[in-house]
Amino acid sequence: MTAFIAQNFVPLMFAGLLCFLLTGIPVAFGLAATGLLFGFIGMEAGLFPTSLFGALPLRVFGIMQNDTLLAIPFFTFMGIILERSGMAEDLLETVGQVFGPLRGGLAVAVVLVGALLAATTGVVAAAVISMGLISLPIMLRYGYNRSIATGTITASGTLAQAIPPSLVLIVLADQLGRSVGDMYAGALIPGLMLVGLYLLFIFAVAIVKPAWVPALPVEARIYREPTGASGHRSLVVLLVLCAAVGYGWSLVHSDVIANLTGRLTPAPTDETVILSLTVASLLALALAIANRLLRFGLLSRLAEQVTFVLIPPLVLIFLVLGTIFLGIATPTEGGAMGAVGALVMAFSRRQLNLRLMRQALDATARLSVFVMFILIGSTVFSFTFNAADGHIWVEHLFDKLPGGQLGFLLVVNLLVFVLGMFIDFFEIAFIVVPILAPVADKMGIDLIWFGVILAMNLQTSFLTPPFGFALFYLRSVAAKKDYKDRITGQMIPAVTTAQIYKGSIAFIVLQLIMLAVVVMNPQLVTGGIEKTELLDPDQVLQQLDLPDVGLPEPEAEEPAEATMDPAEGAASEPEAGATVPAGN
Amino acid sequence: MNALLKLSKWIDALNEGIGKIILWLVLAAVLISAGNAVMRKAFDIGSNAFLEIQWYLFAAVFMLGSGYVWLRNGHVRIDFISSKLSRRSNAIIDVVGMLAFTIPLCIILINLSWPVFHRAWESGEMSQNAGGLIRWPVILMIPLGFGLLLLQTVSELIKRIAFLSGARSEPFSTDHEKSEEERLIAEIAAKAEAKAQAQAEAIARQGTAR
Repeated sequence: MTAFIAQNFVPLMFAGLLCFLLTGIPVAFGLAATGLLFGFIGMEAGLFPTSLFGALPLRVFGIMQNDTLLAIPFFTFMGIILERSGMAEDLLETVGQVFGPLRGGLAVAVVLVGALLAATTGVVAAAVISMGLISLPIMLRYGYNRSIATGTITASGTLAQAIPPSLVLIVLADQLGRSVGDMYAGALIPGLMLVGLYLLFIFAVAIVKPAWVPALPVEARIYREPTGASGHRSLVVLLVLCAAVGYGWSLVHSDVIANLTGRLTPAPTDETVILSLTVASLLALALAIANRLLRFGLLSRLAEQVTFVLIPPLVLIFLVLGTIFLGIATPTEGGAMGAVGALVMAFSRRQLNLRLMRQALDATARLSVFVMFILIGSTVFSFTFNAADGHIWVEHLFDKLPGGQLGFLLVVNLLVFVLGMFIDFFEIAFIVVPILAPVADKMGIDLIWFGVILAMNLQTSFLTPPFGFALFYLRSVAAKKDYKDRITGQMIPAVTTAQIYKGSIAFIVLQLIMLAVVVMNPQLVTGGIEKTELLDPDQVLQQLDLPDVGLPEPEAEEPAEATMDPAEGAASEPEAGATVPAGN
Repeated sequence: MNALLKLSKWIDALNEGIGKIILWLVLAAVLISAGNAVMRKAFDIGSNAFLEIQWYLFAAVFMLGSGYVWLRNGHVRIDFISSKLSRRSNAIIDVVGMLAFTIPLCIILINLSWPVFHRAWESGEMSQNAGGLIRWPVILMIPLGFGLLLLQTVSELIKRIAFLSGARSEPFSTDHEKSEEERLIAEIAAKAEAKAQAQAEAIARQGTAR
């Protein structure tokens, strides 16, 4: 018996954990209990010293001291304050009015607002609920195809996983032992490309099946000028002006910052992008405020509304990300300042009161507690797991896997995808990621790249029927019975679960395409990050072997980045064989 | 049973009260962190005490808050199977889980961490950073937090057993039935409803004006 336990300790431990968690007891307690139980079994069997858990309080103390995780309550608080101060509703209405007159415009608005909400709230549930309650009835009222409408909403809601400053990326960065700033920088371009892919899809639908995505009728456009004009011209002029200034800034940004800080290296792409956007947004806000105060009357109602609703949250996000990318603030400080910014915004919208404050703080405190307790639980688990050399067991498991890096990524992605259907992100991040990360690192996989792949994968998982969280949340707010529309007086049939499932399929395919693109092109993630480590020969080799996928590559603007230089790759080729643990 | 239920009520009230206090620690941490960042950058003033108080506060929030979150059934569960079982079966699983796992876990961690706190208290250990804070208050959070969790587990145990024996109609505290999402849904739906109402009225008015 003892011999059997000793030989199969790690698999038994995993089996025990699985059983305990499936009973539905709180994950944090199940994890810790598994760790303790198997620790004591191991002590009885003579596998571990009896002092095994002596250092446990110090590890808990280490979790308390963790500066990265301190960012969790800050970003959560910022998101909840923004979400509860009516920002989502205003954004959906305003952006809907901007794009509504176009075919597919409402869907475009949902995608854009989804991306914005993702960047602020970072919570799938909140984004899907808001959009499902506000945008879905409007889309149904004006005759949108039901699957397109529901698919757009659930898919845009899951963007919360992968667009910085998402909570998911903070936790992944912590668990992978990388800096949050690098993780944000790595996720930025793939996240934005995914948004672009959604938009392309909607444009394609608008061209191929115009009846599926009708434009808003004239009577539904509320911000009209006294003359009857839509006010779009004024908005376009403002946009072009600000875009021009933003572009101008992007050209001089590197020099300006170099002069200010004395930095010698050229500015990374993501930093330039974020700072240029900030400059453009601030200009728009300044112009709109000047217009209102001085009564120039130059801007249409629409343009003014857009500026006042859209720009403040945008500036807040850009400032938070910008200061983090510039290295002015740590992610933790960035989160705290973002939270204060959100309070100021809510106050200036006259939405801040004691009730909202209490609610937001309470929700933040509760999220922090359950997240940190899962981490404490998984720390207890990993105590025993490490003592039993679990990592070596896991490594051996992947040793037998053919295909090297790509094979590993494929298996891991499948595993995480399936797990993502049943368990929430935080459990995966604290249980699965620490087990896989050392293996990935040994295989020469860039951990930032790995993290972004996981985040992208999880968001797909949350969208996949029949268990996807996003689908579940939309189901809970979409009409279950036929109802009479208030405005048009027509009967609108209920939204069926089958329609919601069907709607997600197209977007799952889009996400999988994006996931494949990221797997094939690590430089999409790593290209914008200043290289602090030596470049990895494995990756360079892979780069040379794989044919380039014909997608627009933002990092092409940055010739200074020499990481993927073929000559360098060839030079380091001889060492490559030594670092490949599997596949040969 | 009645005496036990009374005990459970007291414990609930205690953790509920702690839940109300830790809220403001979150706000304090936010303000201190933001203020510290601004001071550090703008005036080059900063002290390790201000850096450390941030994680002291956060540590207090999540250690002391665990009993409160347990009271509100906020520790996530994997409900893939349990959602298909009856409330009775779930209550039985909870009782077994608490007796076999949660209570021993709390006792073991209190036992392990108390001596660490005691040593820090006796020696008056300070942070190794210049101008840092004294260590024992934050170390105290570990046994204190698990103590509160233990108390709450006892209270939850009483509630589940009372439910199973018919002395109570609900397995959980009923004050907090609604989840975060349900509250959000109610709030946004109410706003959307009000807006649709106003819009419909406006359209009706336009119709009669013509």
